[in-house]
Amino acid sequence: MTDSADYFPASQPWTERGGAVHLHGSKCGHCGTVAFPPHGLCPACGAQSGQAAAELSPVGTLYTFSEIHIAPKGFATPYAVGYVDLPEGVRLFGQIEARAADLEVGQQVAVTLGPVRSDAAGRPVISYKFRGLPA
Amino acid sequence: MTALATIAGVGMTKFGKQPDRAIEDIGREALLAAMKDAGVERAAIDEVFCGSSYGGPLIGQRTLRDLGMTGIAITNVENACSSGAAALREACWAVKAGRADVVAVIGVEKLTRLGGGTLPLEPTDVEVNLGNVMPAVYAMRARRYMHETGATARHLAMIAVKAHEYGARNPNAQFQNRITVEQVLGSRMVADPLTIYMCCPTGDGAAAVIVTSENRARSLGAKPVRIAASVLQSGLYKTGFRDMASSELTERTARLAYEAAGIGPQDLSLAEVHDAFASAELMYYEALGLCGKGEGAAMIERGDSGPGGRQPVNPSGGLACRGHPVGATGVAQIVEAVWQLRGEAGPRQVPGARVALTHCTGGGISGLDHGACAVHVLAS
Repeated sequence: MTDSADYFPASQPWTERGGAVHLHGSKCGHCGTVAFPPHGLCPACGAQSGQAAAELSPVGTLYTFSEIHIAPKGFATPYAVGYVDLPEGVRLFGQIEARAADLEVGQQVAVTLGPVRSDAAGRPVISYKFRGLPA
Repeated sequence: MTALATIAGVGMTKFGKQPDRAIEDIGREALLAAMKDAGVERAAIDEVFCGSSYGGPLIGQRTLRDLGMTGIAITNVENACSSGAAALREACWAVKAGRADVVAVIGVEKLTRLGGGTLPLEPTDVEVNLGNVMPAVYAMRARRYMHETGATARHLAMIAVKAHEYGARNPNAQFQNRITVEQVLGSRMVADPLTIYMCCPTGDGAAAVIVTSENRARSLGAKPVRIAASVLQSGLYKTGFRDMASSELTERTARLAYEAAGIGPQDLSLAEVHDAFASAELMYYEALGLCGKGEGAAMIERGDSGPGGRQPVNPSGGLACRGHPVGATGVAQIVEAVWQLRGEAGPRQVPGARVALTHCTGGGISGLDHGACAVHVLAS
C-alpha cells in the first residue's frame, strides 16, 4: 500500500499526545544543550557521544515572522513563517497557519502538523508547523 | 597603515541580465579590463583566484582557457555571497607570503541561467525544506529589528531610494533610475515587510582586480591602492537563541579588520556594504560602527549615508542597484572602492576619498547568522 503523503523529516520525529505535538530533539549528556533536529554530535561543547533523545515542549514564543509571497516550486503562496523559541532553549523555524497581519512578535504559538508543500508528484508533504494561541 | 598587498588595476562588466552571453565570456571581459588598467600582459600573471557561487566546476579554468592563461595555479573559491571577497583574501596572502608577485582575482556569476525567482538554496537544509527563502531570512531579521528599535517600513524605503539615487550615477549599475518612498512602499510584496524595491535583483556580471606587491605596483600603470586589511570569518552555529536584530558576524569581522588596519569607523571616507535587502543595510550601519546601536534609522533620516552626507554608503548603488551577481559582488565592491580612492568615480565621487571599507556577507544555511563574511580596508 502506498502512502498518500510524504513526511519531512521522513523519520517523523514527533509524538502526538492529548492534542499536543511534541517534537523529538536531542540533549547533550555533557553540557545539557538541547537541539532540534536531533544531533549525534554536540556543536556547543564538542562531545562526540552521549546525545540522548529529548521530547520538546508543544508551545513556544514567536521571536519573529514574515509572510512569503515569492517561493520555490511546490510552496503555495502566500504563507507565513517564523522562528519560535521553546522553553528548552531551542529555536525552530517553521510555517505558521496564519496571515502576517494577525501575528505579533512575542505571542504564544503551538506546534501542529500539516502540509508544508507538494512534492514532485504533487503529493502533500506533511511536517511540523505552528498555529497561533489566543492571548 | 601598512599594506598587506596592493591593487594595481581593476575592471568590471556592466551588471544586469545578459542571458545570451557565456559566463566565461563575462568573466574574461572583466579580467582583460583589469589587466589593461594595470598594464600587465598575460605572461606576468603568476596565479589566479576565481570566486563564484553558481558558476559550476572549474569556472576559473573555463574562463582562462580561451586566453591561453593556463598552466599557472588557478584556485576556485565558493563562499556564497562572499566568494569573490574570499578569493581576494587568498590573493592578498599569496602576495604577502612571497609566493606570487602578480595575482589576478575574478568574481563572476551568471544568475539568469537559474531561471529567475529567489536564489536556489541547499536542498538538504531543514529550513529550506520547510519553505525558507533568502528574502524571508532578511525579512524576519527586519521584523525583529523594527520591533526592538522602532524603525519602520518607511526607513527601509528610504534606504532603497538612497540606493537608486547613487545607482542613477553609475553607468555599470543594473538599475539607473530614481524612485520615491511611495513607489517603494507600494511595490509588490516579496517577504513581509520587504517589497520588491527593498530586495536586490538577480543578474549577471563579473569584476576583476590585479593584486601585486607594493614594489611591483609602483612599476605598473595605474595609481596603486593599498589593501590595509583582509579579514574573513564564518557565522557561529547555534541551535538555540541568537540576537537576530544585530549581526554578530559582521560586528566581529569588522572589528578584526579595523584592528588589522589600525583605524576605526570614524576614519572611513566611504563604505561598500552588503545591502542584499534594505533592512540589512540599516543593521550593518550599526554592526560596522558607522552609527550607534539602534541609530540606523536616524542615520538614514539625516541623509548621512547618501550623496553629500557625512558617511557615504554604497556610492556604487550597492547590491540593490549595481546588482548582485553573487560571486562577483565582493570584487565589484573593491573595484568601486579603488575608483573612489583614485578619484575616478565620476558623478558619484566621494570628494577627497582616502580610506574605504568593503563588506560582504551571505550564505543561508540553518543555524548560522551567515555562512561567510569578508571585510576589506583599502587606502590611497
